[in-house]
Amino acid sequence: ASVLLFQAKSCICHMCGAHLNRLHSCLYCVFFGCFTKKHIHEHAKTKRHNLAIDLLYGGIYCFMCQDYIYDKDMEQIAKEEQRKAWKLQAFTPTMVSHYQCTMTGIGEKYSTWEPTKRELELLRHNPKRRKITTNCTIGLRGLINLGNTCFMNCIVQALTHTPLLRDFFLSDRHKCEMQSPSSCLVCEMSTLFQEFYSGHRSPHIPYRLLHLVWTHARHLAGYEQQDAHEFLIAALDVLHRHCKGDDNGKKANNPNHCNCIIDQIFTGGLQSDVTCQVCHGVSTTIDPFWDISLDLPGSSTPFWPLSPGSDGSVVNGESHVSGTTTLTDCLRRFTRPEHLGSSAKIKCSGCHSYQESTKQLTMKKLPIVACFHLKRFEHSAKLRRKITTYVSFPLELDMTPFMASSKESRMNGQYQQPTDSLNNDNKYSLFAVVNHQGTLESGHYTSFIRQHKDQWFKCDDAIITKASIKDVLDSEGYLLFYHKQFLEYE
Amino acid sequence: NKDAQMRATINQKLIETGERERLKELLRAKLIECGWKDQLKAHCKDVIKEKGLEHVTVDDLVAEITPKGRALVPDSVKKELLQRIRTFLAQHASL
Repeated sequence: ASVLLFQAKSCICHMCGAHLNRLHSCLYCVFFGCFTKKHIHEHAKTKRHNLAIDLLYGGIYCFMCQDYIYDKDMEQIAKEEQRKAWKLQAFTPTMVSHYQCTMTGIGEKYSTWEPTKRELELLRHNPKRRKITTNCTIGLRGLINLGNTCFMNCIVQALTHTPLLRDFFLSDRHKCEMQSPSSCLVCEMSTLFQEFYSGHRSPHIPYRLLHLVWTHARHLAGYEQQDAHEFLIAALDVLHRHCKGDDNGKKANNPNHCNCIIDQIFTGGLQSDVTCQVCHGVSTTIDPFWDISLDLPGSSTPFWPLSPGSDGSVVNGESHVSGTTTLTDCLRRFTRPEHLGSSAKIKCSGCHSYQESTKQLTMKKLPIVACFHLKRFEHSAKLRRKITTYVSFPLELDMTPFMASSKESRMNGQYQQPTDSLNNDNKYSLFAVVNHQGTLESGHYTSFIRQHKDQWFKCDDAIITKASIKDVLDSEGYLLFYHKQFLEYE
Repeated sequence: NKDAQMRATINQKLIETGERERLKELLRAKLIECGWKDQLKAHCKDVIKEKGLEHVTVDDLVAEITPKGRALVPDSVKKELLQRIRTFLAQHASL
């Protein structure tokens, strides 16, 4: 505030005291003068100070040339100062879209791209340009299996086809923060994207990626088959840490305030409401999540009934056909109120004693990319087995019924919105599916990924084949990746 | 000159509170929205073509487009900004 005060009092013409009239500052001494009234001209003539700067736009005026001049070095300085000033400004424009914030970094001023000399040189030496047509297969590439590494290959396929992640890396947005860039997983991802979009049709050998994963996620090292879901979470964690230059997890990372690309795309908020059965007081916590793990029928925990008094309402265009479990069924079960039982009493701050309670999970904040993990691998004390129950999942998913806000309006007696309501913010489209074939002991991972709007491809390590939508929707489904349909302005 | 003094005081207050910057941004956005910026840009290009790129100075352009620029500002924009300034003055009645 004191800076503004100083500016208010001192940014006036030294001759007439006006603050308008295109105020200029002498570049030789401390003098401000009007341009329109020629006060700065007088100063220039009498003192022979021939250079002045326009206080509004930063243009440099030369009194000998009698015009504004453009000097490369001054332009560089001006650009740098403008950038710094923008960051300090308390005022931020309201129309900066979420997409723009993701691409430029929060609060950075949008400036049109101007190629540097080096970039112009590169463009001239490489005149070949790629045209993206509807049938081109750029971005598709097989991955060699390095010894039971299909669990990693599937996740790589899903990540390289996540549109926002692709845009981030292909526009060179990663600035390495790691002490040694050769151990940075984010740099390796960047290289991976370059490989995938290079146009090469031969399969890529991800040996460096594998080595980095082994180094940073020790529990995944070794040549045995690992869990693709575990790999996804470990990979996201390492990427998130490396974005901040945190090599060994020592720095305290507050997941609620991280702005890295991983958090911007994958982090959602899960609300947990614990209601005391005696005083009906509600205790709410919100935890960040990168994926939603869903129980399936056939596991040792009972699946049906979904919730006390649940109706067979039509959600997401699927009516419950008895026999077929749907993704929506799993989500309804996930967000049902659960009675915690007499052996798990919670200390109620309203009653000041231990009481029985119900707990309910709902979505507080949806991530841009939602990953659903169907818990097919059961590792209980008694048995280890794979649940192969078919779960049908849709191409388009509306998360509105599972939102914390929807639960609130239901509780307030408000009419439940029809599913094709105006709320576009909760609509998702499927873009990748990871499948597991076989048993717990010996199995194989493959994935389906979406290219352009309606083309799907099956990725089986080094072999990429065209797939139909039916192939995708008929598959068992282990990891389901959905992408928000509309990116809203903040 | 009492008028000029009042102007200076108001201006100071606008800068101190950061309101001047906000008003500038608002005006900038409005003038782009209604196409004013594009109109003047086109006019600039015409002037340069007429006078020749080698002979025209910034001063020439300023002299040419200032009257046109002032005239082309839509009344609605003027009204809105005036309203904002009035509200601001009402809030800082100590002036």
